[in-house]
Amino acid sequence: MSSKEEILSRIRQTVGTGYAMPEIILPAGAVEYGDKTAQFAAVSESVGGRAVVAGKGADLNEMIRSLYPAAKTIASNIPEITLATFNPDKTGTPYELDGTELAVVRGEIGVAENGAVWIAQNVKEKALYFIAEYLVILLDAEKIVHNMHEAYRQIRLNDYGFGLFISGPSKTADIEQALVTGAHGAKGVTVILTSAV
Amino acid sequence: MSEEHAKNAARFLANKEQEQWHNETLWQVRGKRDRLAMAIPEWETLREWASGIKMHTLSHLDRYLEQFAANAEANGVKVHWAKDGEEHNEIVYGILKERGVKKLVKSKSMLTEECHLNPFLISKGIDVVESDLGERILQLMDEPPSHIVMPAIHLKREEIGALFEEKLHTEKGNSDPAYLTHAARLHLRQEFLTADASMTGANFGVAATGDVVVCTNEGNADMGTSFAPLHIVSMGMEKLVPDYQSLGVFIRLLARSATGQPVTAYTSHYRKPRKGCEMHLVIVDNGRSRTMEMGDHRRTLKCIRCGACMNTCPVYRRSGGYAYTYFIPGPIGINLGMLRSAKTYAGNLSACSLCCSCNNVCPVKIDLADRIYAWRQSLDRLGKADRIKKGMSKGLKFLFSHPALYRLSLRLAPLLRYMPRFLMYNRLNGWGKGREMPEFANESFTEMWKKGKVKTHTNQRSHE
Amino acid sequence: MRVGLFIPCYVNAVFPEVGVATCKLLDYLGADTGYPLDQTCCGQPMGNAGFENGAAGLAGHFDALFESYDYVVSPSVGCTSFVKENYPRIREREGHTCGTSGKIYEVCEFLHDILKVEKLPGRFPHKVSIHNSCHGVRKLHLSSASELNIQPFSKIKGLLSLIGGIECVEPEKTDECCGFGGMFSIEEPAVSVCMGQDKLYSHIATGADYITGADASCFMHMQGIAKREKRAIRFIHVVQILASGL
Repeated sequence: MSSKEEILSRIRQTVGTGYAMPEIILPAGAVEYGDKTAQFAAVSESVGGRAVVAGKGADLNEMIRSLYPAAKTIASNIPEITLATFNPDKTGTPYELDGTELAVVRGEIGVAENGAVWIAQNVKEKALYFIAEYLVILLDAEKIVHNMHEAYRQIRLNDYGFGLFISGPSKTADIEQALVTGAHGAKGVTVILTSAV
Repeated sequence: MSEEHAKNAARFLANKEQEQWHNETLWQVRGKRDRLAMAIPEWETLREWASGIKMHTLSHLDRYLEQFAANAEANGVKVHWAKDGEEHNEIVYGILKERGVKKLVKSKSMLTEECHLNPFLISKGIDVVESDLGERILQLMDEPPSHIVMPAIHLKREEIGALFEEKLHTEKGNSDPAYLTHAARLHLRQEFLTADASMTGANFGVAATGDVVVCTNEGNADMGTSFAPLHIVSMGMEKLVPDYQSLGVFIRLLARSATGQPVTAYTSHYRKPRKGCEMHLVIVDNGRSRTMEMGDHRRTLKCIRCGACMNTCPVYRRSGGYAYTYFIPGPIGINLGMLRSAKTYAGNLSACSLCCSCNNVCPVKIDLADRIYAWRQSLDRLGKADRIKKGMSKGLKFLFSHPALYRLSLRLAPLLRYMPRFLMYNRLNGWGKGREMPEFANESFTEMWKKGKVKTHTNQRSHE
Repeated sequence: MRVGLFIPCYVNAVFPEVGVATCKLLDYLGADTGYPLDQTCCGQPMGNAGFENGAAGLAGHFDALFESYDYVVSPSVGCTSFVKENYPRIREREGHTCGTSGKIYEVCEFLHDILKVEKLPGRFPHKVSIHNSCHGVRKLHLSSASELNIQPFSKIKGLLSLIGGIECVEPEKTDECCGFGGMFSIEEPAVSVCMGQDKLYSHIATGADYITGADASCFMHMQGIAKREKRAIRFIHVVQILASGL
């Protein structure tokens, strides 16, 4: 018998009482936010990140430049982001992304309760999300949901087979519980909330 | 019961300053957890759901495992099954050896710790690099973690500064946490970029999709898996959840319970290997199916390794992770140790005052303290019961089974006050260390009642 | 209403005045109170030490002793919760149904939930620091546990508010364990004493004259430390305050 069969047959002998799956329907009074954008921005700040609202017709390139004036190597595969110095999808291997100072990517869903942004991989190498010193995520403000239940109803993975929620910068408190940002991934994350209106 | 924990704890407590720092620092984490939990009105409902989802999944685990494995395979992931730690290690080594891997970069995994993977691979000549900062610090020190979420919580910055000075050539005497963290960032980035393979644990496996979900704050799992062409996931078979809706419940609970954050910085879903790369998944039993057979102890398998029970445990905070003989400390560690080997790890059972605070913080509602109580009942059978305690319990039983004798002892108890101090306070009396003995009243309640000194209507009637 | 009093060993021998105050209150509130003299111990010390089976005989004796009463009332949190929680299982193992687990109440719980006391005479012009004992909070739900996101409540505070002149405060870490834990205090003396000191100091830091609570077993432990360290703070059971005007 293979290990798989052996394990499964042992489990079959022990499963016992079948417990029903709880019905996941939020009770009345569950947390909801009057202003999801404001809540999202407040939580982003509390987790060491930042969310800024791009006004109607705002120039995103100008905004990003003013947020990161010193950035020299800027990666983005978004056509409108003209201040990008290179298109990461045109590089050969993830190793070539080392040294990226700023990456500008698109997010799909924002979560008001925890400041997380869902990204289904949308660059050739997912390394970009982590190796860039700083990360800018463009997110449609209309795509902010209250909580993770809503978010998980909407998320889909694409053919890359990778996706993630990012909430603020990479961080650690492993030395005496002192919070330090920039453990391995981005040292800073700014979510720019855009509006179609 | 052997008293290993008690002895080790006394050593930890001898450094009062360190003990207070440890205690208060972890209490602050509990405080952060409380603030976030209280901000979610449906918090207790989430806990109820999380517990229910886990019990449901465990009671249909065969089905969910098959579904999960089939989906993972359809996604191009190679799935392996390991009955125990040894088989797990052999599988991992086999994969590495076949591909000529020299350097493996790992993110934190309690399961690989449980299987003793690192020493095994190192003995085979593989360069194993832990990439979680805390884990890396301990690896450089050649020490085990003392907490499952905050592995280096027992260390002071100066100790880490000195370690980095020696190993990473940082500035002499600089122990600023930001400086040291960024030094480790540079050092580990080189490891990420030069590793031949990466390995992660799994916080959750989603049966409906085959996703492996890994939650980190540092982004180390993500860095590891983004470069090397081979990713191996080591996953305990109890980590499954049915679908995304159930996953949402756990993601809401996990970081809030663990560190008092609304969510970890990264919640990564690994479904397929990177283009042109390989992803392997090792599903591990290692005693879990045996635990499934153990009645109420099965509930321990609901654990999502958040560590909240450690942060609230008044005993853990005051005794440190190394006071426990199993590699996972605190209330969950006492339980997991007993499940691993009751005979070997019974010495941790004393480390619980049955305050039950752990039961209340546990996001999946494991009745940890009640489990410990239950384990204590099995000590005698295991031949691990303390002789003195057993004798005392027998003596008490005899006394309490004879009401007249009990009443007599109540009458005589006040006489103990005339016992010479040296007979009462000596090294045989654990109570006497730091405490005076309780003082017996001149007259017991029973005596007073019998003499009609307790005035109630009933008592008056019976003495009229 | 026939109420059977259960006075556990440590209350009987060390804190008999707590038993007396319990009687006074029950009597004042019109309960017909009896005290079966053949009572001994509920078996908790054996259970916590890992010899629950040794409590089987005691549980049978206990059931028989209190069979004729409508309620069993005890001024002990630990013993009450032991009977409530573990007796059904212990009795079932012997093929019996437990008769007392459903009708036993800790005295504060009884006053608050069953007798629903609304008025008591007496004044207690002191500042008291409430000791929320573990099993009082987490097993008997005398107050809301700090870990849970539920509506805060405290039956003890509610009862004490009936007494004039009293000022109630709570220590920092309001319901952290004091480190008694029965056999724990002897098996883990170093941790137990450290927990006791921390708890005692946090009570003292409130500036209270008294530490009060429903669990005198915690008092034994904290009092032992206070005495060794010559600390002036005094200990008083909730029922002693409630009965102060009777």
